[in-house]
Amino acid sequence: MFDSVYAQLVGLCTGALLLTSALMVWRHTLLASIRLLSAQGLSLAALVAVIGVQENEVELLFVALLIVATKGVGLPWVLAHESEAGVRAIKEAPRLNPTASLLIVTILTILSYIVVSQLIGLGTSVTSHAAPIGLAMVLIGFLLLISRRRARSQLIGFLLLDNGIATIAFLTSGGVPILLEFAVSLDVLLVVVILYVFAGRMRTKFGGTDVDQLRELHD
Amino acid sequence: MSPIAAGLLLQLTLAAVAVTIALLVAPTWRSRAVGLTSAALAAVGLATGLVAMTGATGTLTIPVVLPMDALTLSPDRLGGLFMAVVSAVGLIVSLFGMSSARRGPEGSRTAWAAMPVFLVGMQLVPAAADSVSFLLAWEIMTLGSTVLLLADHAARASVSSAGIWYSAMSQLSFFFILAGFAVLAGATGGTSFTAMATVEPGSLAANLAFVLFVLGFGGKAELVPLHVWVPRVLPEAPSHVSAAMSGAMVKIGVYGALVVCVRLLPEAPAWWGIMIMVLGGASALYGILQASVSSDLKVLLAYSTTENMGLVFLGLGASMLLRSYDATAAADTALVAALLLAVSHAAFKATLFLGAGAVIHATGERNLDRLGGLGRRMPWTAAAFGVGAMGAAALPITSGFVAEWMLLQSLIHGGRLNGEVVSVAASVAMPLAVAVIALTAGLALMTFVKAYGIAFLARPRSPEAADAREVPLLMRLALALGALMVLALGLLPGPISEAVLATVASSGTGAAAGSAETAVAAIGVSGVALPGIGAVLDPLLLTVLAALVGVPVLIAIVLSAAKHPARTNDLPWGGGGSRARPRMQYTATSYAEPLVRVFDDVLKPTRDVQVTHVGESRYLVERVQVEQKVTDVFETRFYRPMLNLLQRFGIIVRHVANGSIHRYLTYSFTALLIVLIVVSL
Repeated sequence: MFDSVYAQLVGLCTGALLLTSALMVWRHTLLASIRLLSAQGLSLAALVAVIGVQENEVELLFVALLIVATKGVGLPWVLAHESEAGVRAIKEAPRLNPTASLLIVTILTILSYIVVSQLIGLGTSVTSHAAPIGLAMVLIGFLLLISRRRARSQLIGFLLLDNGIATIAFLTSGGVPILLEFAVSLDVLLVVVILYVFAGRMRTKFGGTDVDQLRELHD
Repeated sequence: MSPIAAGLLLQLTLAAVAVTIALLVAPTWRSRAVGLTSAALAAVGLATGLVAMTGATGTLTIPVVLPMDALTLSPDRLGGLFMAVVSAVGLIVSLFGMSSARRGPEGSRTAWAAMPVFLVGMQLVPAAADSVSFLLAWEIMTLGSTVLLLADHAARASVSSAGIWYSAMSQLSFFFILAGFAVLAGATGGTSFTAMATVEPGSLAANLAFVLFVLGFGGKAELVPLHVWVPRVLPEAPSHVSAAMSGAMVKIGVYGALVVCVRLLPEAPAWWGIMIMVLGGASALYGILQASVSSDLKVLLAYSTTENMGLVFLGLGASMLLRSYDATAAADTALVAALLLAVSHAAFKATLFLGAGAVIHATGERNLDRLGGLGRRMPWTAAAFGVGAMGAAALPITSGFVAEWMLLQSLIHGGRLNGEVVSVAASVAMPLAVAVIALTAGLALMTFVKAYGIAFLARPRSPEAADAREVPLLMRLALALGALMVLALGLLPGPISEAVLATVASSGTGAAAGSAETAVAAIGVSGVALPGIGAVLDPLLLTVLAALVGVPVLIAIVLSAAKHPARTNDLPWGGGGSRARPRMQYTATSYAEPLVRVFDDVLKPTRDVQVTHVGESRYLVERVQVEQKVTDVFETRFYRPMLNLLQRFGIIVRHVANGSIHRYLTYSFTALLIVLIVVSL
């Protein structure tokens, strides 16, 4: 593969990652978020595959397949399957309005570029040049965790954060060992399944999963 | 494997076996089975300690999975001495517990499982050769004692409160000790005691570590003002546990202080010694003052523990002060005296607490004002308690006397070296210390006359005391063993003095090692001489002499009394003695009343007098009720305000953590952002 093509492909994938992250903050319905998450998982898999082809590592191609299976198809399927149509259409009443959130996303992205360039230096390689995207995804995931009221929407934030960590890992060190990647993916899948079952139970029992309202149970 | 390593391993094994037995064996056999195993554990500890005292060495290394050095247990002579002391106390306590803690919450599975844990923790602290194993054993000891203390928490609310105080103060002590070790480890780069001892004397690290250690070990050794847990915890714990706590666990606090002063930071500047002396003197005075006015038998014993530990620290401080001025002979004598005092305190205070346990077992009362006349009904307990009380009052033929005599000798003669004044500080501090000891000794005598006289003599003041029965055989055996130990240490102080001396000689600095040989010398089995000071004491000889004089006089009195006819008891006017009722006797409160008045400013008692009149009459009184409460000044004036302040702070801070997940996430996010911004600047 030509270097310029490689660089463009990496840029495309990471761009897709950042774009999906920003869109997740913007869109408020659960269904939209789930679709964006799926797209993001596929972009991550594409990124891994591109790196794998460039570095001639077959292992990374397997990892890419694994990511397609879990982050691209598995998790979104679980999320969509577990929530009924009524829930999927529910609009989130966010704690931040969309304009403010997008502004904060911009600031966070700039901050992550500054931080990463100071911390490790952007370097000359294509991948390390794109590393700030991963940090930006982590920060955006965190922002989602804070600004969303519903447990399921918070879960989306958590998954975005997890994707961000994976992105950083692949961009800076060519990924973690396949066994570890496998274990982490399964862990996340398990967490999501448990939380979803849990959230479903809570909804049938208390009629909602607004975390702020749930505090009244404790009082 | 050396005998010591084998002994240490056997102790660990026996502790595990005892815990297993406690968890598995049926309640009917539990106290006997676990008690016997605990006694065996203590006996092995005693043997190991005695072997280590002879100078034998042995190391038990326990590898750990964590990334740090292996735990090393290797008792030196000093450690051996303390291991032997706490094990001896553990032995009689286990025997006593076998009989006293048979049923009820004290005999529960949890309580009996905690007993061997407590014992093995205490026995392994003196064996530790590095700070990590020291702290580990220390925490095991604290954990075991806390569980034991809480045995009766369901029935009495005061036990839970005592448990909270104890846990809080223990953790405070632990924190200070941990911080002290951390400072030394940071300065020297090692966690073993030998590595830590290389810290530069006089450096900031050494000074800081010393202050932290004093706060930490002083808390465990009940020094004022860290003693507030004592009057709550020791009375509320089951009696055999209080005996182990006061007789043994407190000694571990002393051991810690000795490790610091003798092993880790031997070259002490004068102000360290003065600081320890002030703390010790204040504890001694305050402790005995509170003890002398207390009418609760166990509170009295608890405060008396503070007093005795104060005296031990006074001796230790004097030794450090004298050593800093190169008066090594007197310094060594003071150190030997402090150690002897610790040993003898272990013997007599364990006996006294077990005696109090026997009284509670027989009557269910620990309020002296409701006891009395127990001497006739419980002769064994009375005799043992009497011997223990004599020891606590430092009367001759008991161990307390020898130790205090030696301490006074070193203090009186310590200010001068070859006829020259050592230093101004020493010549001021020493007479003051002598005065403190004199006042303490007087008050201690009064305290224990009260404790023994009110509880065991005169007539019963309540039906419970009148119906008291002597306790079972095993408890009597434990009491007798304790009393025998007090007498043996007092009549034949030679061997123990030599052993303690060897400890001091081996563990001191190079300068002290040579002189300690000449500081104290044993004469035969019984006598002790202080060549550096020129004083000799031979208790056995003195006792024989006293008997030679006293016995003929006694015989003459008895004979002359037999010649004269007995007088009639019926007084013509009928007042006073012939119709004396128990209510006419002195009570513990009335006996101590003059003292409360004299020390009114220190004790700050609260009095409440309620007079009930007969009908409308102003002159006829139906009943008068006087209630006097002596609270702990440090608790009411220092700890309470501080706790209130903390509580107010806590209420304010509650808004910060209101339970909202979003708020917590925002905190983490903000923290992350701040960290990122800081590193990128």
